[in-house]
Amino acid sequence: MDPSALNNPQLQQLINQEKERAMANEMIAKLTSACWDKCITGTPGSKFSSSESSCLSNCAHRYMDMSMMIVKRFQSMQ
Amino acid sequence: MDAFSSSSSSSSSSQMSTEDFMDQLKVQLAQAYAEEFMETVRGKCFDKCITKPGSSLSGGEGSCISRCVDRYVEATGIISKSLFSASMKN
Repeated sequence: MDPSALNNPQLQQLINQEKERAMANEMIAKLTSACWDKCITGTPGSKFSSSESSCLSNCAHRYMDMSMMIVKRFQSMQ
Repeated sequence: MDAFSSSSSSSSSSQMSTEDFMDQLKVQLAQAYAEEFMETVRGKCFDKCITKPGSSLSGGEGSCISRCVDRYVEATGIISKSLFSASMKN
């Protein structure tokens, strides 16, 4: 491939789009792994119990709350 | 760019069009994502289902693995939905 193609706006757009997708994927994968360990304590059943699914969703929301708190905490230290 | 040029389609020249390159990039990325996800699921389900490895995979272990894979995929959906709805609120 011609190296000047790297300046192609279509390719640039794809790269930026993929960068964002990679970041989102990584975040989802990391949180799913952490919340799975916290919420799914027994052997996986054929259906999530309501407490398991609400634990998973709470887990993700609390992680977001926590990261905001951490940002604020660091900001107040400056 | 080796990984991308190897399977280029037909044409006699080794030059690849940007479109072909982008298509291959998408395929390779999708494969990489799938591979990484499978690796995570393998780890999680091995921990959950193969607690005492025997001389062969038992029926109980097999069905645990199927359920575990399904639940992990479902959990990924729940987490991404929660993240998405949380970021909408802010």
